[in-house]
Amino acid sequence: MRKKQRKKLDGVQIISTVLVVAFSLIVFIPFWNAVVISLETSAAAAKYPFSWIPMEFTLENYAVLMAKGGALMEAYKGTIIITIFGVLIGMTISVMGAYGFSRQFPGKKLFFRLMLFTMFFNGGLVPIYLQYKNMGLLNTYTACIIIDLVSVYNVIIMKNGFENVPMELQEAAMIDGAQDMLIFFKIMLPLQKPLIATFSLFAIVGYWNSWYWPMMLMSGGNKSVLQLFLRSIVNSAGSEKTASGIASVLISGDGMKMAAIFMVMLPVMIVYPFLQKYFTKGIMVGAIKM
Amino acid sequence: MKKDSKNGKALFVRVWQAKYLYLCILPIMAWILIFQYGPMYGLLMAFKDYKAKLGILRSPWAGLENFKLIFKVPIAREAIINTLRISVGRLIFVFPIGIVIAILLTEMRGAKLKKICQTVLTFPHFLSWVVVACILKNFLSTEGVVNSLLGGLGMDSVNFLGSENFFRPLLYITENWKEMGWSAIIYIAAIAGIDPTLYEAAEIDGASRLRRIWHITLVGIRPTIAIMFILAVGNVMNAGFDQIFNMRNGLVEDAARILDTYVYDITFARVPDYGFSTAVGLFKSVVNLLLLLIANKMTFFITGDKMLS
Repeated sequence: MRKKQRKKLDGVQIISTVLVVAFSLIVFIPFWNAVVISLETSAAAAKYPFSWIPMEFTLENYAVLMAKGGALMEAYKGTIIITIFGVLIGMTISVMGAYGFSRQFPGKKLFFRLMLFTMFFNGGLVPIYLQYKNMGLLNTYTACIIIDLVSVYNVIIMKNGFENVPMELQEAAMIDGAQDMLIFFKIMLPLQKPLIATFSLFAIVGYWNSWYWPMMLMSGGNKSVLQLFLRSIVNSAGSEKTASGIASVLISGDGMKMAAIFMVMLPVMIVYPFLQKYFTKGIMVGAIKM
Repeated sequence: MKKDSKNGKALFVRVWQAKYLYLCILPIMAWILIFQYGPMYGLLMAFKDYKAKLGILRSPWAGLENFKLIFKVPIAREAIINTLRISVGRLIFVFPIGIVIAILLTEMRGAKLKKICQTVLTFPHFLSWVVVACILKNFLSTEGVVNSLLGGLGMDSVNFLGSENFFRPLLYITENWKEMGWSAIIYIAAIAGIDPTLYEAAEIDGASRLRRIWHITLVGIRPTIAIMFILAVGNVMNAGFDQIFNMRNGLVEDAARILDTYVYDITFARVPDYGFSTAVGLFKSVVNLLLLLIANKMTFFITGDKMLS
C-alpha cells in the first residue's frame, strides 16, 4: 500500500505473515475436512478423521441425499423463491428510500428517526409471530420475504453514499431543469452501482442463509427452505445414537450431513468471488461517512 | 443538517416540491410502519395476563407482574446473568480480534498470499450458523479431527461440545473462526485511509515498526474502533442467538441459556405464557436501547462524533 520499496523484511512483517497464514489454515481445514468427509465412505471417515483427499472416494452420500429428492428440491425451491423476490423488492424499496432520505424535505427528520428506531427496537418474537398469524401469513413464502425485506443499516449507508455524490453534479442537473426522479435515474443510480451491487449480494446471501424466521413462521407447514432442511438433517443424524432413527441416516450420518452442507453452501461459494470484488468498496463508502 | 432552514416558502409549497421524494420513501416507510411498528402493539401482552381466547385487548391487565416475575424466576435471572457474561466475554475475546487481524493483514508481505488469506478468512461470514455449527461440531466432536490430534499426542479425548466449562470459550473461538476476517475489513479500510506521509515521517525519525503501529495505525483507526465498540456494547443483551441455538445441546443447557434462547424455549414450551415471553423480550429490548444511547453519548465525548445523527 505504501509506495516506498522496503529493502528487507523485518520481524513484524514475518510474524504477521506467519500468523495470518496460520489463521487462514485454521479456518480452511475444518471446512475442507467437511468437503472431504462428504466424498468418502463412512468407514474411511471413521478410520481417518482427517485427510487432505477423500480416502475411499464415493458419491454415495450425495446419492442418499438425492434419494430424499422431494424434500431437498422443495427446500431449494423455497429458498430460491424467497431469495429472488426478497432481493428484488427489498433492494428496490431500500434504494428508493435511501435516495429519498439523502435529499431535503419537510418531515425528513421525523421519518428518518422512525426508521432509525427500528434498528434498535422491535416487537420481539411473540408479537411479531402473532401479527403474521393474524395477517394470515403463516406458512407462506411471503412472510419469509417480508420479514427480512429491508436492512435499515444498509439503507443508511446507501443514503450516505447518495449524499457523497458531489452537490455540483446535482445542481448542474437541476439548473438544466431535471426533476428529482430524473436526477435519481440519470445521475444518482449509475454512481451508486457498486454499492447497490454490494448490498444486493448481501441480501442474496442473507435470504439464502435465513433460517430463524422461516423456522418460526413456516413450522408445521409443508413449505421449507434449505437451511431448515439442513437443520432437520443435522438433528436427525445427531439423534442417531439415542433413537433407532431412519435407516439411511444411520448408515451415513456424518457423510450425508457434510454432503447436505456442501449442497447448501455451493451457491454461496459460487457468488462469493463476485461478492469479494464488491464488498470492500461498498463497506468503505459506508465507513468513510461513519 | 441544519442548513435546510426555512427559505421563506410556505410549508405546503415545500411539501409539494418534494412530492417525488415522499414517493421514494413511501414503500419503505409503509414496511416500517406495518411490519416493524405494527407488532409493537403486541407488546401490550407484556402488561397483561394474556389469554389466547380473549385476545390482546380483552385479556385482563397484569400491571408489572410479568416483569417482576423475570427477577423472581431463578432460570430467568440466570439467563440474564449468563447473557451479560457471554457478551462481556465477546467484548474481551472477540471484539479486539478483528483489529488484530486487520493490522496483521496490513503488515504482512506478499500481495497474492494476502489476497488468498483474506478470501479464506472472510468466507465463513457468508455461511449461516446452521452450516458453521455443523462443520465445527463435526471437527470438534469426540471422533473429530481435534480429538484425534490430541489422541495422537497421547492425550485423552475431550468432549468439547458437551462440557459446560468449554461452552463459553468455544463460543468465542467459533465466533472468531467465522467472523475474524469480516470484522477486520472495516479496520483495513480505516487503516488504508491513514495519511501515508505520517508513516514516512515516523520512519525518518527512526520509529520502529511496532511504534508506528502503536502511534499511527492504532491512533488513526481510533474513531472506527470507538464506533464498532458502541455497536458491540449496544448488542450486549443479544449474546448471539443464532450461534448458541445451533451450538447448544442437552449437556450444556445451563451454560447456553441466554435471554433469547430462554424466550424461545418458554414461547414454544408445552404451556406457553405469551405475556411472560413478551415481557422478557421487551425487558431485553429496552435495556439494549438504553445501553446503546449511553454508549452513543460516550463516544460523542471521546471522538466528538456521534454515530446516530
